[in-house]
Amino acid sequence: MERARPLAEPPAPSLAVDEQAALRDFFEVYDAHHEEVSAALLEWARGHPELRAWVEGTPPEEHAERQRRSRELMRRAALDGEWEPYLEHLRTQGMTYSQAGLSFRTWFEVVAGFRRVIHPHLVEAYGGDLPRLGAVLGAVNRLLEVALATVGEAYLEAKEEQIRAQQEAIRELSTPVLPVREGLIILPLVGAIDSTRAQQITERLLRGIEAHRARLVVLDITGVPAVDSAVANHLLQTVRAARLMGATVVVTGMSAANAQTLVRIGVDLSGLNTVGDLRGGLEEADRLLGYRTVRVEPEARAD
Amino acid sequence: MTVPVLRLGRTLIVTLPSAVSDTEMLELQDRLAEEVGELGIRGVVLDVSVVDVLDSFATRTLRGIAQTVRLRGARAVIVGVRPEVAFSMVRLGLTLEDVPTALDLEEALDHLDRATGGGTGRGR
Repeated sequence: MERARPLAEPPAPSLAVDEQAALRDFFEVYDAHHEEVSAALLEWARGHPELRAWVEGTPPEEHAERQRRSRELMRRAALDGEWEPYLEHLRTQGMTYSQAGLSFRTWFEVVAGFRRVIHPHLVEAYGGDLPRLGAVLGAVNRLLEVALATVGEAYLEAKEEQIRAQQEAIRELSTPVLPVREGLIILPLVGAIDSTRAQQITERLLRGIEAHRARLVVLDITGVPAVDSAVANHLLQTVRAARLMGATVVVTGMSAANAQTLVRIGVDLSGLNTVGDLRGGLEEADRLLGYRTVRVEPEARAD
Repeated sequence: MTVPVLRLGRTLIVTLPSAVSDTEMLELQDRLAEEVGELGIRGVVLDVSVVDVLDSFATRTLRGIAQTVRLRGARAVIVGVRPEVAFSMVRLGLTLEDVPTALDLEEALDHLDRATGGGTGRGR
């Protein structure tokens, strides 16, 4: 399967000297009060419908450890300007939230909760110096914006990855290669075929011939609602490629509508070996392979 | 380097190397035209299972070989076209037309046996 493209590294925020100073001011206050802040957040999370299970399912030491680690990384970002480890930590968090099935909204609520808890402490510390307080609040907003964007991006990326994996699974399921007997495989196709899927069918068919040493392939398109000229041509090419490998393809289940479409759009089907339905196709395949199916009468079957 | 040709009874087994030059292909065609008559060969297996690409020249020459062999009184069969080779040939509009193909050596030999009425001398 094609790996998801790696997440573009979010650039570390470029901060002016005064913003840097304000961020330091904020961190000093947070560091001094981190225990109260954590406790308040944990208390709030306990009352939250989505977070409750997570809070109660994790031992307190682990919460403390997580907090400590997160604070340490934030320290390096805020005091030393070393953002990369902190951003990486946020990305991991985003992916974890996504995999845990938490809603996007919850993360915003966590951030809002943090803001609510930290504000009184900031006011208490810098209330006497309004310009400084303003700068610190601005720095907090900046920091939280970066955090929200980073977590959000990772969250969405993880969701998209899930969708891709599911699409892949559906595609796998929708093109089974079934070995029926020696030298014979069946590919029952179900659902719409676009050019990506047509290509995948080709690959699976040709690989199936190789893997099962199939001299005959029955391609059943009963479950395909519509065939356009691009798909028809692709299937035709596949049939020719199979013949080059030494296998014969029998197409079954061409609906009246599909047949009419193909004739109307003028696809040259002279190379196509078609039989009405899957049953007829299997009979034809047996004939070509030299098998004969004989029904044994019940009395002859008695052991 | 010449293309290796093995003899098995009245059958020749030719294994094309992964990268085969145009000159080598033409040499092979000349050589098979000679040997099929001289050695009383009834069947020729052209094994392309290690060939990475069959371009239009190689395809045309393979067809030429099959026709020459036929005119000399034997039958040829191509064996071991890999999935990716097959598909890229079809994309380029290359076909082997009336040259029979087989999945593997065993089937190729069976095919030759049938086509020549058991005349390949494999003693089966």
